Amino acid sequence: MMTVELLYPEIANLYGELGNIEYLQRSVPACDVRRTGLEDRPAFLDGGVDLVYMGSMTERAQSVAAARLAPFREEIRRAVEEGQAFLITGNAMELFGTGIDDTDGTHVDGLGLFPFHTTRDMLGRYNSLYLGKYGDTDIVGYKSQFTQSFPDGPIPPLFETVRGPGMNRQTGPEGIRYKNFMATYLLGPLLVLNPPFLVHLVESLTGNTPFPAFEQAAMAAYWARVAEYSNPRRGFTY
Amino acid sequence: MLRFFAAFVLGKAAQAGCALLSRVSRRKGTTLPGAVAIRICPEFIARIPKPARIVAVTGTNGKTTTSNLLRDGLRRLGCSVLNNSAGGNINTGIATSLLHGVSLFGRVRQELAVLEVDERSARTVFPGLQPDLMIVTNLTRDSIMRNAHPAYIRDILTDYMPEKTKLILNADSLIAARVAPDNPRVYFGVGPMDGDKTVSTNRINDVCVCPRCHSVMTYEYLRYSDVGRVRCPGCGFATPDYDYAARQVDLPGGVFRFSGRGESMELPLIHASVFNLYNQVAAMTALMELGYSMEQAAEALKGVKINATRFDVLPVGDRKVVSIFCKDKNAYAVSRVLEYILAQPGPKEILFYNNSVGDTAHWSENTCWLYDCDFELLREETVRRVVVYGDRGRDLKLRLLLAGVPEERISRVDQPEQGIACLELPAADTVYVLYGSDSIDMGKALAERIAGHIRSHGGGRRV
Repeated sequence: MMTVELLYPEIANLYGELGNIEYLQRSVPACDVRRTGLEDRPAFLDGGVDLVYMGSMTERAQSVAAARLAPFREEIRRAVEEGQAFLITGNAMELFGTGIDDTDGTHVDGLGLFPFHTTRDMLGRYNSLYLGKYGDTDIVGYKSQFTQSFPDGPIPPLFETVRGPGMNRQTGPEGIRYKNFMATYLLGPLLVLNPPFLVHLVESLTGNTPFPAFEQAAMAAYWARVAEYSNPRRGFTY
Repeated sequence: MLRFFAAFVLGKAAQAGCALLSRVSRRKGTTLPGAVAIRICPEFIARIPKPARIVAVTGTNGKTTTSNLLRDGLRRLGCSVLNNSAGGNINTGIATSLLHGVSLFGRVRQELAVLEVDERSARTVFPGLQPDLMIVTNLTRDSIMRNAHPAYIRDILTDYMPEKTKLILNADSLIAARVAPDNPRVYFGVGPMDGDKTVSTNRINDVCVCPRCHSVMTYEYLRYSDVGRVRCPGCGFATPDYDYAARQVDLPGGVFRFSGRGESMELPLIHASVFNLYNQVAAMTALMELGYSMEQAAEALKGVKINATRFDVLPVGDRKVVSIFCKDKNAYAVSRVLEYILAQPGPKEILFYNNSVGDTAHWSENTCWLYDCDFELLREETVRRVVVYGDRGRDLKLRLLLAGVPEERISRVDQPEQGIACLELPAADTVYVLYGSDSIDMGKALAERIAGHIRSHGGGRRV
């Protein structure tokens, strides 16, 4: 049995990201998904959760989620230090830094768990494809964001970038990997796009090797995308 | 002033050149004249003489259909209308249309303009254009690259909306209903109807929590996604009441009762789909807000057709080939098309060809939308085959499998025309060709080829 906690799915659900959890459920026998709403205390704080997932959200929703998580800051920090596994995608990652500064002058306090800050410019959306490495495994994905994050200290990355931007347009390393905490700016159906990464993730959580659902079709799409993104003539920004 | 004069003259020259070229190439619709004019004079839209009244139409979905309905209806009422349907809906397209509406001597040719405005372009269009009326059809998820999320688009419209513009807002689309709260406004909507839900079963629902207190919202009735009448049990915040509404909707019978300003009458549906009912109600509302009576508005829209580039039917014996514009990278719009298809009787085969071929030229399609789209609808047994093609066909095939569509009903081909050979064409079959904004010509041509294929096989008697 593997238990996944979905944090704030009523607001953290943009860009088809809940497809990640559906794919996990289809690939892992006996995968239990708990949905934790804005009014609820996160279940992982009391143990029994193998993976905490939180996905992309609107800018207003970031403020709401930040406010709801703030009272649990020290408990979350302790959980991270004790090895609780997280997968955080898209702009949800920004909630774990020191804060978000918008060009309109507003500020959102982050949990301050990792040494980076974020700037947001609602007139400056940028879109990119992404090709990177998780160990020896190719990672493909999408970025589409108003924000960039800047390290204020050492942050172990989740992915080594081959093509595309990392935490910001100038930085190569992408995301955060600290103990079992994983976060990335890659958004959308990350696990569906990357079945080998799903295998690594589940192996690290359960010790068992899963068979990604519809493996043949999933791997055909994966290898086609890796080949596309590896082609130097392929445009990478939109 | 000199700068505007130069922009006007060179814009007109570009227009004449484009007209000549379009006659030779038989292609229409360029925004070059407007682009030239704005390049020379950035305030061109503000300075060019315009029709006395302007109605703008924006929103994520339905703005072209609503704009066309309104244009055709007004022309039937004897009103001369300037419209940008042949051009673009961003600032350069609108500037091009305004150029068309003015003679070389500066005389405005039309009484009224109906302008479709890209919902993201408020920043570049509205400083120079102050519509009298502005319809917002709905605000929903769209291309994540351009539109991010609907609240972002609402904020853009709010920030740049001219303060005197009267808004015509879809009350059932809460995010649209909250555009520019300080502007004068009327609301339209569609009252309770058969098949309504109270819980969203669609993958997209952007009105889960109250925008004021963040309690979970409850629906009095819900059509699809987050479109319906919603209320917050925590603070009482709710979608607004209708000033104009469709009620007693009989989709199979093709009629509904329209009400507004204290009167009501039965009207024929222009198209038997809920999403087009909203467009029709929006157009009726705008006509009445322009001062026409309900009878005049109803008569104006009677018999008006949905543009054939958006929806077309080719009957071939007991079979049909239906081509539908299915906005690429827009999960919300695609889900509405799938719902429409599923509501039709008989066996169905679908060529799902709205993968963004234009993207292939310079990058690779962002496929996040596939996991916001209700492909689960295609599990139904009446869907005999779904054909996908090309590189993105691999992603679509995986998505269909995850949605529960049996693998034996899915075909992936390399080229669009290879899909014809995959069709089974059972008796009373309907073949749906779904195409996107950069594959309209391909979709229409393919529909014709499929119709020809059915005819050449004796009316498609293969079972």
